Amino acid sequence: MPLLDDIGIPLDDAELNRRSFLKLLGSGALAVAALGTAVTSVEYLSPNVLFEDETRFRIRRPEEIAVGTLIALPKQRVYVMRSQEGFIAFSTVCTHLGCMTKYEPENNRIFCPCHGSQYTIEGVVTAGPAPRPLPRFELVVDKGFLVVNTRKAVSQDTILRYSA
Amino acid sequence: MSESASTFAAVKGEDSQRDPVRLLVVQGEARPPVDATTEPMVMTVPHLLLRELITLLAASLALVLISLIFNAPLEEIANPEKTPNPAKAPWYFLGLQELLHYYPPVIAGVIIPTLVIFALIIVPYFDVNLKRKSLFEANSGRTMAYWWTAMILVSLLFLLSGKHPVWPIAGCVWAVALLASFGAAPKTWGALGRWSAKKSLAYWVFYWFLLTTTALTIIGTLFRGPGWSLTLPWRDGIY
Amino acid sequence: MRAVTQYARSLLARLTDNKVGRSMIRHGWAETNRNRSLVVFSNFFLHIHPVKVRLRAIAFSQTYYLGGLSAVTAILLTVTGLFLMFYYRPAVPQAYHDMKDLEFAVSAGIFIRNLHRWAAHAMVALVFLHMIRVFFAGAYRPPREFNWVIGVLLFVVTLLLSYTGYLLPWDQLAYWAVTVGTNMADATPVIGPKIKFLMLGGNALSENALLRFYVLHCILLPAVLYMLVAIHIWRIRKDGGILLPPASEHDYEKRSGKGYRFEAGRAVPDLEVKE
Ligand code: HEM
Ligand code: FES
Repeated sequence: MPLLDDIGIPLDDAELNRRSFLKLLGSGALAVAALGTAVTSVEYLSPNVLFEDETRFRIRRPEEIAVGTLIALPKQRVYVMRSQEGFIAFSTVCTHLGCMTKYEPENNRIFCPCHGSQYTIEGVVTAGPAPRPLPRFELVVDKGFLVVNTRKAVSQDTILRYSA
Repeated sequence: MSESASTFAAVKGEDSQRDPVRLLVVQGEARPPVDATTEPMVMTVPHLLLRELITLLAASLALVLISLIFNAPLEEIANPEKTPNPAKAPWYFLGLQELLHYYPPVIAGVIIPTLVIFALIIVPYFDVNLKRKSLFEANSGRTMAYWWTAMILVSLLFLLSGKHPVWPIAGCVWAVALLASFGAAPKTWGALGRWSAKKSLAYWVFYWFLLTTTALTIIGTLFRGPGWSLTLPWRDGIY
Repeated sequence: MRAVTQYARSLLARLTDNKVGRSMIRHGWAETNRNRSLVVFSNFFLHIHPVKVRLRAIAFSQTYYLGGLSAVTAILLTVTGLFLMFYYRPAVPQAYHDMKDLEFAVSAGIFIRNLHRWAAHAMVALVFLHMIRVFFAGAYRPPREFNWVIGVLLFVVTLLLSYTGYLLPWDQLAYWAVTVGTNMADATPVIGPKIKFLMLGGNALSENALLRFYVLHCILLPAVLYMLVAIHIWRIRKDGGILLPPASEHDYEKRSGKGYRFEAGRAVPDLEVKE
C-alpha cells in the first residue's frame, strides 16, 4: 500500500512561492496568537479589584502626641513620629525583604528581626542590609486629626510642620 | 557532479527532498549502547521491579517511623503585624538566607541562584575534558601557579564584594585549592595525594559547589539566631 | 510457601482466562521469560523500562537507589497530599484551623501531616544526593547530557514544590518565609514588581496568594514533576541504561553468591526458570 507521503507531486515555482507565503502567514498568525494568549493570561492573573486594607486612615489629634515620641501602628504598618519641627509618617516594613520592624524604646531605634537592619527613629538606615530608608507617607491634618495615606509615598525630607 | 571530477562533493539529487535515500550513517563518538552488549542481563520483571517495590516499602517504613515519633512544626497563626525573631525558612533554603546576610537581595536572591541553576544546566555541554585529565597531570609547576592565582582572586572576589566578607565561601575556595594541590605531589602526600591526583578540574569546581552549599546551609541552620546574629548551637541552642 | 504461590497463580490464571480478562491483559501468567517481556511491553507504566537490564545496573552499590528513592518519596507525597486535601481549605483563617483540626480532631490527621512534611524534607535531600551521585559517576556526559538537564529542572521543581507548600499551613513561619521569598523576586530588575504582584495576586501576602500557592502546589507543579520524572526515567532506557564503569569478570564473580551464577559471560539467576 503506498504511503501517502511518498507520492511525488511535482512542485513548480508558483506553487513553491505560494507555499512559502502560506508558511510565513501561518507562522505569523501563530506568533500573534501566542503573544495574545500570553498577554491575556498575565492580564487574567493580575486582579483588578483587591479587597485590601484601607490605605488612608486617621491617627490621632496632633496635640495628643508629645514631642520626641514615636507611635507604632502595626495593623496599618506605619510609624508616626513627632520631632521638634513637626510630624512624619513612615512605613514599618523593612526595605530589605519586607519583614515588620520593631521600635525599641530602650535603644531608641527601629530594628528588623529578619536580617538585623537598624534604623533611627526617623527611618534612616544605620546598620544591616536594608538598602533604603523607611519610605515616608503623605501626612495631613484633616478636621483636627492627623491622617496618613500609605499609598502615597513622599520624599524623604517631607515634614508636616506643626508647632503647638 | 561532473564539474569537479577529482574530489567528491555531496550534491543533493533533484528529487532528494521527496525520495531521500540514506547512503551512510556517520556514527558519533557517543552512541548509547542500546543493542549490543556482552553484559550479563536479567529480566526487568521481576528483578528490577522487585527492587523498586522494596525501595518503596523501605522508604515508607522509615518515614512512617519518623512520623510516629516527630511532629511537624506548627507555629501560631500568621500575624502580619509581628515578625518572629528569627524568621527562618526550612533548612534547605537557609544557605540562601545566609547569602542574604552578605549580599543585597538582587544578588543573593536572584542572580546567584539563577547562575547556579544555569551553571548546573550547562555542565554536560562544557565538560571539554572528556578524558578527565587530572588537574596537575601535565606541567604541574605552571598549573600550580595558575591555580593559586585563580583561587586567590576568586576568594578575594568573595571577601570584598559583599556587605561583610563572605568567609564561608572564601574558606571553601581555599579548602578546595589546598586539597587539589596535594595532587601535584602524590608521592609526598600518601593516600590523600593519590586521591587528589586523580581528580579533574570539573571535579574540583563541583567539590567547591558542594562544600559551599553545605557550609552555608549549616551556618544558616545551626549558627544563626535572633537578628541573624552568630550563635553557638551548644551554648544558645538551635533557633 | 511454594504451594501457596502456585495456587494463587493458578487461581489468577483461571480468573483472567476469559474474554474480559484477556482484553485487559493479553499475556498469560506463566512464569516464562517471554511473558516477563510481555509484561513490560504491554504495560503502559512498565514500558518506561527496558525488558532486560544489566545485572550490575540494578545493584544498590551502583546508584544507592537515590533516583528511585526520590521517585518513591514523590509518590508518597502525592498520596499523603491527596489525603490532606480532603480536610484543607486554602482560605484565611480556615487554612490554619484546618491544620489544628488535622492535629486534634481527625483520626491519624497529625500522622498524615507528619508523613507529608517529613517526606518533603527527605525528597529535597534525596534529589540533591542523587544529583551528587550522578555527577561523581560522570553520568552527565554525552549521551546523557539532556537527561542531566531534565534532572536539574526536576531539582528546581522539587524546590518550588517545597516553597509553595510551606505557605499552606498559614502559620507565622509560613507567612514570613514566603514574605521574604516574594520580596526577593521583587528585587529582580524591571520585571520584579510585576512578578511579585502575579505571585501574590495582590500587593501584600494575603488570601489571594494562599490560593495561588495552593493551586501551584497541588496541581501545576505536581503535573510538571510527574511528566518530567516520566521522561527522565524513560530516557535512561533510551540512553542505553545507566552509566556503568568498565567491567571485569571479577565484578560478576563477586556477586555470584547473591542469587546469580556466572556462566560463560552471562549471569544466570539462581532461580528456576521454566520456559
Ligand atoms: C524528582 C527528582 C528525580 C527523580 C525521581 C529521578 C529519578 C532517577 C532514577 C530512578 C534514575 C536511575 C538511576 C539512579 O537511581 O540513580 C535516575 C538517573 C539519572 N538522573 Fe535522576 N532523578 C531525579 C532528579 C535528578 C537530578 C536533580 C539530576 C541532575 C541534575 C538527575 C540526573 C540524572 C541522570 C544524568 C541520570 C542517569 C544516571 C546514570 O546514567 O548513571 N536526576 N534518575
Ligand atoms: S527584612 Fe529587614 S533586614 Fe532583612
